[in-house]
Amino acid sequence: MKQPEKFQLRTETNEGRCVVYVSGEFDLEVASQMRAAMAPLVELTDRDLVLNLRDLKYIDSTGIGILVSVLKARNAKQASFTIEAIPPNIRKLFDMTGITQFLTKQNQET
Amino acid sequence: MNMNEELIHLEVPATAEYVDLVRITLYGIAAKMGFMFEEIEDMKVAVSEACNNAVLHAYGNPPVGTTADAPSQPPRMEVRFFKKEDALSIVVKDNGKSFDAQHVESAASPLEGKSINEINAGGLGLYLMQALMDQVEVHSEAGTEVILTKRLVRSEENV
Repeated sequence: MKQPEKFQLRTETNEGRCVVYVSGEFDLEVASQMRAAMAPLVELTDRDLVLNLRDLKYIDSTGIGILVSVLKARNAKQASFTIEAIPPNIRKLFDMTGITQFLTKQNQET
Repeated sequence: MNMNEELIHLEVPATAEYVDLVRITLYGIAAKMGFMFEEIEDMKVAVSEACNNAVLHAYGNPPVGTTADAPSQPPRMEVRFFKKEDALSIVVKDNGKSFDAQHVESAASPLEGKSINEINAGGLGLYLMQALMDQVEVHSEAGTEVILTKRLVRSEENV
């Protein structure tokens, strides 16, 4: 079956920052791939972890759930996790589910 | 079903890689009916959540008291699109064992006003369905059936 927008993930690491670029559709189908890709990055507490969603077309509750678990893991390690370049349709879902508040305020009280 | 109603029936394997096929089908039907882009986007998210649940029921939550044996037939999910004059209803049905809809319903809430340690992404799927559709019904008898309805508002022809 042809994918409308195949999920792709690319990581760029430079001084102090590790930026993960995801594109296409971030849904149940790619959940395990995304979890596996994020797991080692969550451990890099010496740099900021950033997720760039500029080319993301779609996210579902599975995807949002993975973001929540990354947030919690980074928070427990007192390391930062921010999400940047959020497209409007995805921002709408973030606002609706209430995850936005955790993406803007880093390292809330533990 | 009355004369103004049209049914499109889709049956696919209950696996994650078929959820996008359901999304594409929904897009085609909703666009032809005259829904606006944003409404279609909302419905895509809601229908995908219902399909995700069907996939997870089929594989993820073996009910208590059953063995972990692979089913003799791969699980499938059924998606029926009811085109009505003023609404689109999408029925997503799985053949998994019924789940506790009442329990899930009470757990469907956003993450607002919670601290980072309290938040839990469980229940977000149903919450999104409720937030994005005009009506959501969950029936759990033989398998689980989720009925999602979006009303079609034609801005030009109204009143």
